Amino acid sequence: MQADWKVADNRLGILFILPFVLAALVFMVYPVLDAVRMAFFYIDPLNPTGDHFAGFDNFRFIFSDPLFWKSFKNAAVWTGTSIVLQTLIGVSLALLLHLQLRGISFFRGLLLFPYIVPTVVIALTWQWMLNPEVGIVNYALKRAGLISENIYWLSTPGMAMISTIMLNVWKYTPFVTICVLARLQTIPLELYDAAAVDGASLVRRFLDITLPQLAEVLVVVIVFRTIWTFNKFEEIYLLTRGGPGTSTFNLAIYSFEQSIANLKMGVGAATGVFMMCLLFAGSVIYIRLFRFDEESTP
Amino acid sequence: MNSQFGHAALKVIKPALAYAALLLISYIICFPLIWALSTSLKPSSELSAMPPRIIPQTMTLVNYKHLITGKQQYFGASQGYQPSSAPPQHFMSWFLNSCIVSGGSTLISIVVSTLAAYSVTRFRYPGRRLVPYFSLLGYMVPSIILVFPLFMVMTRLGLTDSLWSLVFGYVSITLPFCMWLLWAFFRGLPLELEEAALIDGASRLRVFFEIVIPSAMPGIIAAAIFSLIVSWNDFLFGRVFMNSIEQLPLTVGVMLFFEGVHVDWGLLMASAVLMTVPMAILFMLMQRHLVAGFGAGAVKG
Repeated sequence: MQADWKVADNRLGILFILPFVLAALVFMVYPVLDAVRMAFFYIDPLNPTGDHFAGFDNFRFIFSDPLFWKSFKNAAVWTGTSIVLQTLIGVSLALLLHLQLRGISFFRGLLLFPYIVPTVVIALTWQWMLNPEVGIVNYALKRAGLISENIYWLSTPGMAMISTIMLNVWKYTPFVTICVLARLQTIPLELYDAAAVDGASLVRRFLDITLPQLAEVLVVVIVFRTIWTFNKFEEIYLLTRGGPGTSTFNLAIYSFEQSIANLKMGVGAATGVFMMCLLFAGSVIYIRLFRFDEESTP
Repeated sequence: MNSQFGHAALKVIKPALAYAALLLISYIICFPLIWALSTSLKPSSELSAMPPRIIPQTMTLVNYKHLITGKQQYFGASQGYQPSSAPPQHFMSWFLNSCIVSGGSTLISIVVSTLAAYSVTRFRYPGRRLVPYFSLLGYMVPSIILVFPLFMVMTRLGLTDSLWSLVFGYVSITLPFCMWLLWAFFRGLPLELEEAALIDGASRLRVFFEIVIPSAMPGIIAAAIFSLIVSWNDFLFGRVFMNSIEQLPLTVGVMLFFEGVHVDWGLLMASAVLMTVPMAILFMLMQRHLVAGFGAGAVKG
């Protein structure tokens, strides 16, 4: 009797997981596997029955394409710079927001705002603000006497890269801040009492007590942000379309342009597979660090 | 004496400095949106006026009127221009499309992942421990990898250019992180109440609807908000899946305002403001839950 109830009960559990399994198979597993398959085929989207096997041709193509390597380098520079800035600004902001001040929760709440604003909206407003002739940024810089000539923010290669990095930092620094702030709030105050007795300076207290406590969350945040930032598409594409020329191409834009503009979906997919390999390497690091498997066993 | 004064002064100055820094940062965070709002309220003659003013000299709602009533812009202004494809005409249908697809995909993701999270944390069967790993991996996979294979799936299902393709497309992004968040949340819910009710003879389904769902509500709301934000803000899927102009989601449609000789910045900024409004409302209503969601580590970004 008891055993019967258990079996019937487990059936309900399986019934409950079924929709997830189905949705995951159709909309997550299948597309990823298909992306891997596509990487080994010549695919003409205009002729769906005309796929034929390409072996490693698509990979040979991307590895010998200078634009691929340029996109890779751009993605690395873009990601590296963004992450360093996000971490430095994010941690300083978290320390600032950790202060016990009147009204601080208002500022903490406000911080989430960039995260909810659609990237399209940010890209549009930034294009308007960074407009070389009538944009407010050039006007303000000239007014302050910092520049005498208009800066062409989005149409000179170096400045375009800087502009996309600024957008990325503006939008995602709050992510770092929120995570660090949450961790700061759990640091036991007793740790600081001893230091206060010893008369340690603020800087020393930060380096000796706060920073080691933050180490773990920082590693997790940095791994996560690196993976996501490296694969970002919209933040660059909507602001510069990868331009001027190809100067702000990253791998996601390279893959998109190969698939859409050049109709080489196999090449686009091969780029995707390359990105996924990097991603899985990152995820393995993350899982090792986080070790959620040990706690997760109920 | 001197040091005492210094100490007291430091106590006053430090909060003042902190507030100054906080105000500066708030300004940096808010300025793009304030500037967009200001631009959207200016008549086109004032757009490039120097010096630029934050408060427009003459305020006008004409840009909003064009978007909402769908006025045909530049009608007959140039030959070969087809009035039927004038972007502002479609603004309201794009807005509605975005509401439908983000609502639809959120509903699906939430129902599916709530059931699954309950199942994974309360029942024992082989493979259940893989679900959270799988979700984590799933939500690390960038959209750019999923979008073309999914496009092929939609073609085969005959769904391209229909809103369903976007609903399902967004499920592929939102489902893994809803699952991850709700799994973490359900794992933290105490079992005692549920067990007591089961022992008292309540059925599993009753326990699920009357005890589990209400206590999981904060987690469900947080997951729903994140899912709404992600699908409302997406550009890539809409760009790849949709063809006909009236079927586009807002994000893709608005980018069409750039096509043509003359970019109407007033109109663009008005669209930017209107596009942000639903998210801003959601943001203000649900701030508490958002922070909870960030705490649970469920952020796609």
